[in-house]
Amino acid sequence: MKKKLLIIIAIGILPVISLAQISSNSCDDAETASPIIGNTVYTVDGFDGTAVSTSCSTTGIGTHGEWYKYTPTSDMYIYITSELSQNFNVAGGNNSHDTFVHIFTGTCSNLSCIAGDDDSGYQDTSRTGFSVAANETYYIAWDNIWDSASFDFKIVEIDTDLMITFTNSTINAPGLDRGVVDMNGDHLDDIVSINSTNITINEQQPNGTFSSTMYSTDGIYSASWSMAAADYDRNGYTDLVYGNSSGAHVLKANSDGTAYSVAATSHSVFTQRTNFVDFDNNGDLDIFLCDDVAPNEYFINDGTDLTLWEGDDPNAPIAEGLGLYPSGGNYGSIWIDYDNDGDADLFIAKCGGEPARRQNELFKNNGGLSFSDVSVNTGMDKVLSTWSSAWADFDNDGDMDCFVGSSVSSEPHVFMTNRLEVPLDGNGNPIDGGPLFEDTTSTALPEGFYSFGHENVPYDFNNDGYVDIFSNGNMLINKGDGTFVVYSYNTTNPDYEPREGAVGDLNNDGFLDIFDSGRIKYNDLNNDNNDRNWLKIALDGTSSNINGIGARIVVSSPSFNSNATNKSQIRDVRSAEGFAYMSSLNAHFGLGTDTSADSVTIYWPSGTVDVIVNPTINQTLVVTEGETLGLPSTASDDMILFPNPTKQFLNVNMNVIGSERAIYTVFDITGRRVLNNRLLSNTIDVSMLSSGNYILRIINNGKINTQKFIKQ
Amino acid sequence: MFHKHTYLLKVLIPLVALMASCSDDDRYIGVVPEQISPVIFNIDSLPYTNLSTYNFFEGNMSNLDPVYGVLPYDLNSSLFSDYALKKRFIWMPKDSSATYINDFTSFDFPIGTILIKNFFYNDVLPNMVTKLIETRLMIKREDDWTFANYEWNDTQTEAVYTSDNKFVNFDWVYKGEPKNVNYKIPGISECFTCHNKYGTPLPIGPKPQNINRNYSYEDGSKNQLAKWVEQGYLKDNFPTFINSLVSWSDETQPLDLRIRSYFDINCAHCHSDESYCEYAPMRFAFNETEDLSNLGVCVESIFYINPDISYVVKPQDIDNSALYYRLNSNQDQYKMPLIGRTLKHEEGVKLIEEWINSLNTDCD
Repeated sequence: MKKKLLIIIAIGILPVISLAQISSNSCDDAETASPIIGNTVYTVDGFDGTAVSTSCSTTGIGTHGEWYKYTPTSDMYIYITSELSQNFNVAGGNNSHDTFVHIFTGTCSNLSCIAGDDDSGYQDTSRTGFSVAANETYYIAWDNIWDSASFDFKIVEIDTDLMITFTNSTINAPGLDRGVVDMNGDHLDDIVSINSTNITINEQQPNGTFSSTMYSTDGIYSASWSMAAADYDRNGYTDLVYGNSSGAHVLKANSDGTAYSVAATSHSVFTQRTNFVDFDNNGDLDIFLCDDVAPNEYFINDGTDLTLWEGDDPNAPIAEGLGLYPSGGNYGSIWIDYDNDGDADLFIAKCGGEPARRQNELFKNNGGLSFSDVSVNTGMDKVLSTWSSAWADFDNDGDMDCFVGSSVSSEPHVFMTNRLEVPLDGNGNPIDGGPLFEDTTSTALPEGFYSFGHENVPYDFNNDGYVDIFSNGNMLINKGDGTFVVYSYNTTNPDYEPREGAVGDLNNDGFLDIFDSGRIKYNDLNNDNNDRNWLKIALDGTSSNINGIGARIVVSSPSFNSNATNKSQIRDVRSAEGFAYMSSLNAHFGLGTDTSADSVTIYWPSGTVDVIVNPTINQTLVVTEGETLGLPSTASDDMILFPNPTKQFLNVNMNVIGSERAIYTVFDITGRRVLNNRLLSNTIDVSMLSSGNYILRIINNGKINTQKFIKQ
Repeated sequence: MFHKHTYLLKVLIPLVALMASCSDDDRYIGVVPEQISPVIFNIDSLPYTNLSTYNFFEGNMSNLDPVYGVLPYDLNSSLFSDYALKKRFIWMPKDSSATYINDFTSFDFPIGTILIKNFFYNDVLPNMVTKLIETRLMIKREDDWTFANYEWNDTQTEAVYTSDNKFVNFDWVYKGEPKNVNYKIPGISECFTCHNKYGTPLPIGPKPQNINRNYSYEDGSKNQLAKWVEQGYLKDNFPTFINSLVSWSDETQPLDLRIRSYFDINCAHCHSDESYCEYAPMRFAFNETEDLSNLGVCVESIFYINPDISYVVKPQDIDNSALYYRLNSNQDQYKMPLIGRTLKHEEGVKLIEEWINSLNTDCD
């Protein structure tokens, strides 16, 4: 019997093709029927066809099958999936339609299995992926062994050149796998694993091999919940911070990197995400500790000592606190520059408990240890149980967007698009009245992405110039048009594919790899099997922190620049991404098929700007702070300051307002950055400065203008 | 409000006991001297610095001999806390009593109620002595419960208030074998993490379903609810039948009741709506666990542990069951319960293994 037609109505902006299609009752019937096509939802409306004669799974064979024919027009990767929301929670409790599928090639008289799946999808749905060849015919047979009810499915097609796969390789790394980060200053990513009394570092050698050394520590807390890394004492060897539910500590490398000893400890924090960041912008890295059950804690680095503060201590130096909810709920802190004003802001992924406890938080860094809670104004105050978020300029429009990865199936993932490009008022809020971040989940994220967990990190794994998101065993592949397609790894495979881990370049080939569960997952893409190019940038700070954490790096290339549809690519240097792991401190840029780059601009946290013109690509570019002449200057009379001297305000007469990236910075006579912000109005408040001589610098559209002024 | 200890009271106690046996006799009504609890309770001064200030116990404090009004109680099913032994007491101010809400919700306790829970070990090495570690109080004040922890000194003469995490490391003999524990006295934040719902602090143990059992009082065995009514601590408006937990270690009880009782007291406080771990799909409260999917049976495990584990509980397959892995692990990032243990509860793990192996649901 032929099945009735189903008309799918496209909703929203995504171009969903809607076609009517019916299942066939046998392979022979399917052979003469119209083939089904990709990215279209079809309904299997009950079972009365012929069962398969050969099972493509160990599950067996049911009494009936429903058949389809699929003939791709080009080589590509596809997966066939019933992991669609309409198939979930239909059989009471946590049960979906219990689907089962076989896929064959060949002729109906001589079918051969190429894939089959029972329950790889969410709940009891099916999902199986494989490469397909152009004009080859594939027969899809759904099987009723568990369930004869109607359900929906679709074929998701992924262009072969978007695909990101990995190959497993073992390495001797005893302990908790925690880091992929340069530990010895050679800018090659090393592998860090932690035991209770020792640290194992697999040092990457120039030839891609690893040299493993175990170092003793006097640490007392395990690295159970997270680790972050940076050279906070600037001795050339990377230090670590990690902890567990009873406390956290800073493990400082000695002068030749042969021992790690406890330099500072919190016995009170229930550690979650840890970060190194210079949030007071004095040139020395501070440390942030997320607390699961209490207000967050932080160490302030004055250049000599680390001083621990509990966030709710009435004497704490950050009066506003950084996440003061009494019972905590702080899981994934990440320091990002969401407002392009040149300093590190804080987003906290929150989880568990009553809605107020799991309401995510965004804090704007005002400088001078002053922070504002901008969660509500910016629209980032979602009530969503999450352990981490991934921040990057996913749409290449010059600002950081955010994927908040849910940890619970009842609260969907959220994708937030930054709208810094719209006109803003003097407080940095869009004048259209909407929040700075627009919830674009429904258009950006693919349907059928129902995998949840702790780890969400943003990297361009296929070097196409569009940042992807690695999320709990799934790759959200950025298609470059504001949308993602999801590829789910088979994490139950004995040679299992990546589930989560630290990210870096573990064979220095410019394609990012993953250290997961004590194994290296090497990216299958390399310089010989595709035409993509890349650039890695490693920073050596001088007046800024030595790792350049907090720096904004901008890379312009022929396809990615201010005149192109895709603006120049941007990265923030961060310690760390995701929830538990420490990923590379080298900034990695895929350049797509661009065979050159025009410039690399580094906005250091100190205020220094370095510009490297026409850098050699497909290499690691090491930039020492201040080594270049920086941005070109405009004629000084382009900008008029008044009054000068001033007691309170400086008026700036310059046509910069509303421009793409106008930032003002005030330096004192020693060259230290004392004020920094986006220039959103003609007036700069300098009332908080002490009397003396200062230099005002304005960066506007890639040029700088500096003028002296006197504060009375 | 002060309740002072009086010398007269001690003299009267034997007389009261005698009269109680004749309480049916109208002639004695009105002449029975009212007993006054000597507990010192000044709600504005709480928590006191020293445990002794409350005057919960008479004689040598470490013997935990309660004064009048401090009523010992026990639970049908009790939480594992690194093999610590526990003695629990409850006290209420004069003329106040708790009210039954339902079987599975803690009683509605009156202001001034104090729950007293003492944690100790027997056979502590090297001298095989009893060692009191901490005494935790929950005090009902106005609308909220206050937590107060007291750490016992080495000489066991006093316990002093502490609000921070503390570790006490020692060896003791358990079932004939020496064992070491780095016992953690929880800070206030950790207490709150388990003892709250909707961000409001709550007791966990004293629910009708877990109090409904007999207790060997000095004057004989009696149902605890009846005793609380007799003491004036509970209004007599609860149903005759209370759907109650069993002792999870009682092998004469059905396995499903034992495991549900174990999960209720060890897991349900976090795995409930609007509680600390509300976002995981499990619901471990006794009144919710007749539905096996609330225990994670055949429910996919969301949080990654290793490639072998895909279910919260896979019947007859402990190696593919996240729940078993977590109860069996001492690693901070995997272990369950997350708070309150550093050692593995061998007997509990064995019970869970037995239960998983007894299940015959087919997850496919």
